[in-house]
Amino acid sequence: MPDQLSISHGDFAKLLEAYGVRVPIFEPPRPDSLVGAHGTTVIAVKFDRGVLNIADRRATAGNVIFYEEAEKILKLDDETLIAIAGSYATAFEAVRFLQHSFKYYARSQLQEMSLEGKLSEVSRVLSRALPGALQGIGGFLPIVSAFDKEKNEGRIFFYDVMGARFESREFGAAGSGAERIRGAFEYIVRTKGPFRKMKLEEALRETLLLLEIAASLDTATGGIRQYLPLAKTVTAEGVSNVPEEILRSIQKTLLRE
Amino acid sequence: MAFTPYDWQQTLRQKADYVEDRLREGSPVVGLSCHEGVLLVTVRRAQQQKIFEIYDKLAFAGLGNQADLETIRQIAVDFAHAEGFARSPQDVSIQRVVGVALSPAMKRSFSDPLRLPLVVRGLFAQVGDSPERDLFYLLNYDGEFSLGYHFGVAAGTESAREAMERVLSGLSKKMPKRDAALETALEAWAVGRREASSESETDWRAVLAEALKTGIVEAALLERSSPRERRFRFLSEDELRPLLPR
Repeated sequence: MPDQLSISHGDFAKLLEAYGVRVPIFEPPRPDSLVGAHGTTVIAVKFDRGVLNIADRRATAGNVIFYEEAEKILKLDDETLIAIAGSYATAFEAVRFLQHSFKYYARSQLQEMSLEGKLSEVSRVLSRALPGALQGIGGFLPIVSAFDKEKNEGRIFFYDVMGARFESREFGAAGSGAERIRGAFEYIVRTKGPFRKMKLEEALRETLLLLEIAASLDTATGGIRQYLPLAKTVTAEGVSNVPEEILRSIQKTLLRE
Repeated sequence: MAFTPYDWQQTLRQKADYVEDRLREGSPVVGLSCHEGVLLVTVRRAQQQKIFEIYDKLAFAGLGNQADLETIRQIAVDFAHAEGFARSPQDVSIQRVVGVALSPAMKRSFSDPLRLPLVVRGLFAQVGDSPERDLFYLLNYDGEFSLGYHFGVAAGTESAREAMERVLSGLSKKMPKRDAALETALEAWAVGRREASSESETDWRAVLAEALKTGIVEAALLERSSPRERRFRFLSEDELRPLLPR
């Protein structure tokens, strides 16, 4: 029995190896892979109490609209959000892996994983999923939002497909629609002031409008007309959903204007 | 080295005696269903954690050798997370963790004459959608386990366990709120402590007050419904203070 003592030291990937559990996204892809579902526009911006994440609900496969109620903003744990653009299959599996990895570390080591530790774990997952991404199959781009309790502020991190991590001062966006609206973020910051000074409602209004602009320039982005986008925040109190009524009222005003 | 059947039986008996001897003085642990979830309560020395989160709906508490508790805990955490990822979190059940992952391995280890026995008696708890679905598994050092509803107890001696169960069975049918459950759990703990140490003190509050001169109350709640991913949390000093003897 004592020789079964865990040797993983809280490393979830090692644990899975020891248990013989396969993680498909870490394995080289089959050359005949099909075109899978893709998620498109996700946005993260700071506001005065933390970080707001917002995403349309459309998933596409080639030129087919695959699903109109996709969730692209997910909880990594009670203090961390991840917004995903790119291959749905890979991203979901990666998120599942990360969720378990954080919980496993905290429970097995009896201490929480640090924010830095969580961010590196995201990098490791991306770099291990790289072989697939290189063949054009299963690449995805995450934006990680967290509330830094030491600095008492929300923080936004984005990654490239190889796992390099960058921190953003104000906003982050990923997906095909995001490329088309980058300049608009800059315009908002320069004309209306930084996002991190905005109240939640104001930040919501700006980002919903950005999403609608992205949708008008990118067929793969669902926008705000037909399906209500998904919005979540992370603040000192943790992760929470923006209530549907608030989103609906802003949606109405924007579409009327 | 050769073993005759006689040696083998003798070894097991000696091992059991060795373990029982060491468990006798251990601080008991109490598990109790309440409206808000499942409570786990014990009194411990300041540096020794005795209650642990295992998985989303699973917790573990026990008495015995700290290193052996740690062994059991790690096997349970490893198994639960590997399974939870490979299948789904809903497939990680107390029955699989205790009955499949732990019990046979502990039995093998116990009956191996060349190994030191684990000095541990553990209580696993699983919170359900409703209090009737809460489950408690008592896991013994020899790998034997038993299932209980509404409450569970792990104590140093059989008589302490029985005395504690008598206290708990009075309350558990009424499905108490958290604070009422916590008070009963503390009473059960004190009754178990008194039984094991054959103290003459009759008031359970006095037994508890005496124990708190050198120890502290450790209490955790596995919440029945929570917007948070992690339902397990320790109760804070502020939450405990009103219920403790001054």
